[in-house]
Amino acid sequence: MKLVQIDLILNGKPVKVLTKPNQTLLDLLHNDLRLTGTKKGCDRGDCGACTVQINGRAVNSCLVLAPQANGQQVTTIEGIGSYERLHPVQELFLDLDAIQCGYCIPGMIMCAKALLEENPNPTTDEVRSYISGNLCRCTGYLHQIAAVKQAAAAMQTKK
Amino acid sequence: MNAFSAIGKRTPKVFGLAQVTGREQYSSDISVPGMLHARILRSPHPHAKVINIDTSPAESSGAVCITFKDVPQVKFNLRLVSTPETTYKDWKVLSREPVYYGEPIAAVAAETEEEAQRAMKLVEVEYQVLQPILDASEAIKPDSPTVHEEILLKDKQLTVENNIACKLEFADGDIEAGYKEADLVLERKYRSSRRYHAQLETKSVVCKPEPDGGVTLWSTTQTIHNSRILIHDVFGIPMHKINVKKIALGGSFGSSIHTNITALIAVALALKAKKPIRISLTREEDMHDHSSFSMLFRIKAGVKNDGTLTAGELEMLMDVGSHQIQAYPLLGCVFGWWASFYRWRNIRYTGKAVYTNKVPSCAMRGYGNPQTSWMVETFMDEIAEALHMDPIELKKKNYIGLGEVFWGQGPSVKSVIRSCGVEEMLNKGSTMIGWTRRHRPGEGEGVLRRGIGLGRGFHTSSAGAPLSGSVIDYSGATVKLNEDGTVDVVTALMDQGGGAYHAIAKIVAEELGVPAENVGMVQADTQTTVYDVCTHASRGIYAGGGAALNAAVEVKKKLLAYAARILEVNQDALKIKPDPELGQGIIYVEGFPNKRITVGEVVAHAWTKNWGSIAATVSYRPTAGPPHFTTFFVEVEVDIETGMVTPIRVVAGADVGTVVNPDLAAGQIQGGFAMGLSMTLLEDTPYNDRTGDLANRGMLVDYKLPASLDVPPLDNFQVFFADTYEPTGPFGAKGLGEGTYNPVAGAICNAIYNAIGIRFYELPITPERILAALKERRARKQEEAIATS
Repeated sequence: MKLVQIDLILNGKPVKVLTKPNQTLLDLLHNDLRLTGTKKGCDRGDCGACTVQINGRAVNSCLVLAPQANGQQVTTIEGIGSYERLHPVQELFLDLDAIQCGYCIPGMIMCAKALLEENPNPTTDEVRSYISGNLCRCTGYLHQIAAVKQAAAAMQTKK
Repeated sequence: MNAFSAIGKRTPKVFGLAQVTGREQYSSDISVPGMLHARILRSPHPHAKVINIDTSPAESSGAVCITFKDVPQVKFNLRLVSTPETTYKDWKVLSREPVYYGEPIAAVAAETEEEAQRAMKLVEVEYQVLQPILDASEAIKPDSPTVHEEILLKDKQLTVENNIACKLEFADGDIEAGYKEADLVLERKYRSSRRYHAQLETKSVVCKPEPDGGVTLWSTTQTIHNSRILIHDVFGIPMHKINVKKIALGGSFGSSIHTNITALIAVALALKAKKPIRISLTREEDMHDHSSFSMLFRIKAGVKNDGTLTAGELEMLMDVGSHQIQAYPLLGCVFGWWASFYRWRNIRYTGKAVYTNKVPSCAMRGYGNPQTSWMVETFMDEIAEALHMDPIELKKKNYIGLGEVFWGQGPSVKSVIRSCGVEEMLNKGSTMIGWTRRHRPGEGEGVLRRGIGLGRGFHTSSAGAPLSGSVIDYSGATVKLNEDGTVDVVTALMDQGGGAYHAIAKIVAEELGVPAENVGMVQADTQTTVYDVCTHASRGIYAGGGAALNAAVEVKKKLLAYAARILEVNQDALKIKPDPELGQGIIYVEGFPNKRITVGEVVAHAWTKNWGSIAATVSYRPTAGPPHFTTFFVEVEVDIETGMVTPIRVVAGADVGTVVNPDLAAGQIQGGFAMGLSMTLLEDTPYNDRTGDLANRGMLVDYKLPASLDVPPLDNFQVFFADTYEPTGPFGAKGLGEGTYNPVAGAICNAIYNAIGIRFYELPITPERILAALKERRARKQEEAIATS
């Protein structure tokens, strides 16, 4: 199969990469580019563990073919914060003990971040609805919902 | 009054930063230079013989292949927690006679997963299709198709009769006399479903062959040492050449207590290819890899009018699927859970485990306790109603508590209960939910009917006991001080999300008197750790923490000996406490401000003076497995038009002794509730009788799980902890992980009864079943009305 070249802005940096046209964005990120923060949970769009942002929008990267990312801005968990400076959603997830095994967390955080960029002051119901495509088998979601709401408040205060 | 510096306090979560930044590595993230990717060829029949298998078309494309011809013909059980004498073996690395749809037949490795998949499709297999048996009640009848003719018990051949994998019987007292004494005898049958763990990370492994003929493994396991021992048992590689790495695990809920067959397949492929091999199961493969045990119960009990139980009988038939993983010990555990709930007084138990041509069953969070608790708590609810007694009064009269024998993981694992908060939780919880305000069952109007239900339960804290029985349970830890006063804790114990690492770090910090942030948990491996049996049985804090505490005690003695030498004081006069500003533990003498030194200064001094390292390695066998108790009061709303059940309010009490991680503990309870909610209402893996495959083909879209919209709001979920202290636990702590799940189904089922006045004896209680039951009741009432008119 002939490889295709794609150009994308990945976590703020321009990247050129060769890919098989039938490869998913998830596999491109995780296997080829070794950005292993984005997780495979089902490869069918049913669990949300692979959530990334494309032009700010939360998507299941397992349902995006890698060539579709050409010319787009892609943000993964690796691109939103680090040890020195965490994104408010990351901080609040830590502060409110919203993490157990951690496998759903990158996808959950990316989804929450997309929500807060779209809707900076969501109601609890809006948060619950927005992240309902991200499955978590460990936490029961309550601390995660609270973390997203408090992150919203923290981000409002910063402004 | 919490006088601790770390225990019960909020401290940064161990590995939390890695988790939120996506840097935490799981088995499925590992990549090793030169790594090949493998795909597993799986049986498309629930029962068949492989007459011929030809891998040459795949090999000619450059792939590396293995079949049953390339693996040791050793029979084993994937789980090594039971002693060899009680271990039933019917697995092989690759099967020549697959006994379930999806059983591994061959494996193919290539440069990419896609190439391996294409090569795998070229492998030619000729099957002789055999008649499968999918129903456990049918399988046990004579003349049913046989799943296994012969298996091994330890190394002795056993002929399997009527597909019975194993059985257990136990009786105590005089049950007939007990029934005679009773004013009421009640008997009921229950059927639980065949759940799937649905842990977020599918089973994965990377196996790297080493130049000395050994292997290094990263795999989804709850026990690195048992994986190592099994690889040795199967492949004959000396253990010091097998290194199983500890690595983050994306949830497990019991599905990795046993070594995954995928790991053994990867070892075989790696040895043949002489290259590292990666296998990561797809979600569909994962659902074909393991399931929980479905059980049929017949329970009978005798009770006096005043609520005193006089006799109890339990008959249990469980479907183990096509291979034994944890069947025999589970028979004993179900007995233990049932016997430990209430004082049945005269008891009789029969447990049978039956083979069927289905996905192999393994432990799932609670290990028989969720099903047993559901059955017992709904049964007791019926007894209470028959006696016109409040269920809480009936429970208080009969529950097994302080000073009594707890049979957890029994019958060979027993200990005396030394801490118990059951009554405190029943009293407090009932007030918080408004128990006395609940209406009579089924009384209500309109489309939405609310009801309140109660379920109590428990689980063990490890499988420890005063005597050694058929269950191996011990742990170990190394604690060492670094030259800057920070601490390394090296343990084989895994953390599958329950917070064991976080708790262990706090326990060590508390004992040593250093800030909790100064204690690091090392992601070690089998070469650098002493044995830990497994993270299961809610033993992470109790056994793993117990081991680390004992090691910390040794380290503290050595540390203070060195400090005494430096300060020129009597060692017994020295104390240590953490100084958060300095970020160090401070060693001091009360009343003598000039006699002070930091932990870091002591170690640095010892370093430059060549006194030696301050470290200790301890192996720890818990001599009890104290129950942690929980109570769930749940209010639900049943929509009688759609059959949907919505959780409205939850009041959950937990008796875990000293609460080491309060916020994580609350999270465990919320997570346990969500899982219990879907156990009650959603989860099952039915089979297609024609194909013998899972009806949902392993697709997650048809295995419904609760999402954020399905749980009650945080304000309506109250958690409280009983005020207890476990004398045998590290700083008084007990476990928690499974007690958070076990009672939920019973509580919800009782709440549904309170809401609509209908009892259900089969899980899951789907909307279809609710609507059918409502319809059937309406029809019955109409008939009665006609008959009496």
